[in-house]
Amino acid sequence: MKTNIFNRFTQLLATGLILVFFLSCERDITDLELATSSTNPEVFIDGFSAGLNYAAFGGSVPTAFDVDNKVTWNNSAASMRFEVPDDGDPRGSFAGGVFYTDVGRDLSGYNALTFWAKASQSAVIGEIGFGNDLEQNKYVVSIQGLNVSTGWKKYIIPIPDPSKLTSERGLFWYAAGNMDGKGFTFWIDEVKYEKLGTIAHPKFAILNGEDQVETSFIGVSKVIGGLTSTFNMPTGINQAINIAPAYFEFESSDTSIATVDENGRIMVTGGPGDAEITAHVGEVAADGSLTIQSVGAFESAPVPTHAPENVISIFSDHYEDVPVDYYNGYWEPWQTTVSADFEVNGDRILHYLDFNFVGIQFANPTVDATSMTHLHVNIYLPNTLNANAQFQVELVDFGADVAGAVSTTITVNESQQWLSLNLPLNSFSGLTSRANLAQIIFVDVDGNIPSFYADNIYFYDEGDSPPPPDDAPTEPAPTPTHTPENVISIFSDHYDNVPVDYYNGFWEPWQTTNSALFDIDGDNILYYFDFNFVGIEFANPTVDATSMTHLHVHIYLPKPLSANAQFQVELVDFGADVAGALATTISVGQTQQWISLNLPLDNFPGLTSRANLAQIIFVDVDGNIPSFYADNIYFYKN
Amino acid sequence: MKAIYNFRKTHISIIVVILLAAIAGCERDDFQKLPERNWQLVWSDDFEGPAGQLPDPTKWTFDIGTGQDGWGNLELQSYTNNPENVSLDGDGNLVITAIQSGNTFTSGRIKTQGLFSQQYGRFEARLKTPYGPGLWPAFWLLGDNIETVGWPQCGEIDIMELRGQEPHIIHGSIHGPGYSGGNPVSKSYTLTNDRFDADYNIFAIEWDADKIDFFVNDFLYQRIENTDTPGEWVFDQPFFILLNVAVGGNYVGFPTAQTPFPQKMIVDYVRVYTEAD
Repeated sequence: MKTNIFNRFTQLLATGLILVFFLSCERDITDLELATSSTNPEVFIDGFSAGLNYAAFGGSVPTAFDVDNKVTWNNSAASMRFEVPDDGDPRGSFAGGVFYTDVGRDLSGYNALTFWAKASQSAVIGEIGFGNDLEQNKYVVSIQGLNVSTGWKKYIIPIPDPSKLTSERGLFWYAAGNMDGKGFTFWIDEVKYEKLGTIAHPKFAILNGEDQVETSFIGVSKVIGGLTSTFNMPTGINQAINIAPAYFEFESSDTSIATVDENGRIMVTGGPGDAEITAHVGEVAADGSLTIQSVGAFESAPVPTHAPENVISIFSDHYEDVPVDYYNGYWEPWQTTVSADFEVNGDRILHYLDFNFVGIQFANPTVDATSMTHLHVNIYLPNTLNANAQFQVELVDFGADVAGAVSTTITVNESQQWLSLNLPLNSFSGLTSRANLAQIIFVDVDGNIPSFYADNIYFYDEGDSPPPPDDAPTEPAPTPTHTPENVISIFSDHYDNVPVDYYNGFWEPWQTTNSALFDIDGDNILYYFDFNFVGIEFANPTVDATSMTHLHVHIYLPKPLSANAQFQVELVDFGADVAGALATTISVGQTQQWISLNLPLDNFPGLTSRANLAQIIFVDVDGNIPSFYADNIYFYKN
Repeated sequence: MKAIYNFRKTHISIIVVILLAAIAGCERDDFQKLPERNWQLVWSDDFEGPAGQLPDPTKWTFDIGTGQDGWGNLELQSYTNNPENVSLDGDGNLVITAIQSGNTFTSGRIKTQGLFSQQYGRFEARLKTPYGPGLWPAFWLLGDNIETVGWPQCGEIDIMELRGQEPHIIHGSIHGPGYSGGNPVSKSYTLTNDRFDADYNIFAIEWDADKIDFFVNDFLYQRIENTDTPGEWVFDQPFFILLNVAVGGNYVGFPTAQTPFPQKMIVDYVRVYTEAD
């Protein structure tokens, strides 16, 4: 902060001589004690009190303050005059500065700063108070928006906890802007500290007086906000004052779970367990509390494995993010979502609460994701789900003014764990351009998701070797043993595949299944997740499987089954326009291993022709199979 | 003439006492030379009992509702006998709470009418007032014959009234025929650098056939003799006790957006004495 120090030496000299004259009468050598801070209550009575300096704030009019001998309170010798500049004043945009001493004063015997004030018109002084010492401002206090009229009136700014002010250098400060572009003048006089019995009922609050509960983890760090304070003034009305965190004594009910420092910064240090954070100022307990429900060690989002050169990152500590305008647009009037982002061991996490929808914007500049294939988002739903939820992601392109949305089903057993969404950009229907992407919007479709964490939000180019998910099989599927001449292959690295239109049709509106392609030791496998059903199409040309006897599929279910599952395969013939379905029971013991399905084509009821086969559809009949891997999809004959 | 002379003498002595107190910085009542009285306790309530309990029904009854024209003063509150408005706090106090709900207010007014009344003696209460613009707490007495002769003929003795926007000033008044409403015989008592809502204070009158003396913390600040009223002296009959917290009304004005709610009057005790022979 730039300062402009006024030398008031000549004024001080006269005052000092008078003081010395009086003090010298009372001087007694036997009273000498260790030096203690002055308890002088006076700031400005008819001039600067002992040791007082003035410094103007940077950007303010340096000469805004002067001593006035004409307009004074109660016809005293002098007052302080402040000239607030008009709009466009080249000297500065506001009036503001600090009255401070080089040596701190002991103000602990007083409970308020008082002064008389008037103005050239009814006006508002933006902020005025004490405790600004041009350094730490540790005990800064202010009233915002002090109304001043054209008549002298006494004003009181209470000291929240006088016992803190044993060596305070910031005796008085102010900052005032003009009214509707027009400057004004105000005067202040008789600035002093007093012990008043006429102010009462101090009230303090943290978190604006609310009792909040929050799930947290070891390593989470956040600062308690919503610190407020009111005092009841001699007129019986409550006056709000802004007070520094250092007036609050913060406490944790269990420091083995969470600690809180003098600035109100909470560190979650243990768990599982609860710790209640409360505060008091002096002997007055503050309203509001924060109960930290620590679940223990923080489970970080999976570390992304995409090569940085294939990534455009919006939010990740593992990549360099592009410029982002905001991670929460607080779009009025319908958005309820608020942000409570936190940091765990240096890893920033976005935390959205009261979630309905929220937008992230990166419009300056927009993002050209033309060469990207997917959007990656890690999300974590800390609350248990009452029902399966639909988490929708929308992308908005400002250039073409288009948008597209993809919805992902989060099943009830997928809460309280990190989920990796890998959303193919070509599955965002309607997003005909991604050359000027500017917004990502998250939407709670059914109102089932009260809050979530997000991390590693980035676009990536799938490239040649995307990383497999954590639960991917570590071994490739068994090598097929059928001889190539007896095989028509749809998906396999061991045979020549026929032309395939797609391995996931993203059939709207009912399909939730997403997909990805991975390789395990050089062997490509299909990964289907958020699975309900998914279709593979090979219609150009269709496949004549008349001579074939079986369909072979390798599947691998990575997640444990709660009950036996029905994995259904359907075949569709475009020529005869017929289809048949055959379900296979997967028992609970068959997960996390490759299962070889060999389905006799004659057993597909209704499939009266297989001369123009064009689709294979996989269906999760009972909703038990959230995801699976597939390989070696081919027709064969014995 | 003798009465006037006496009054002036009292008045002067009070001024001297105040000056002495200011200089000496001691308790002011140390200096008041009042005649010794032999007060005998005849009725009291220390408000002992569990938190949330209504006041003792053998001693207190309730005024309920909004009265006529806001109890004659355009008051805003509706009185209830709900414990959230009137109840014991479990620490030996009665708490009367004024509650705001939107633009409406509820509060409490209890009285000893029909249960206890007394002519002459010492009536005192130790209490902490509420505060804030538009709050109007009172500890007061009404003549027993109010049902037959009406107000103000029945007489009213306000031992303590306070305007919430002046939490450092209480008023002691009497109302009677020709000196009622906005024109009572009244005097205020101001605390210096202190407030009546910040701590408990004792408010009392000492009343006999000749006069009513008004006290704060046993400091006599007003004496009204039976010749001082511009109309008939109606204070030679039994009076009953009232405690209430009004909101708004023509005495105190309306509460403002800055008036803190809820507001509580906390009463430690009410005691009534008679002078023994």
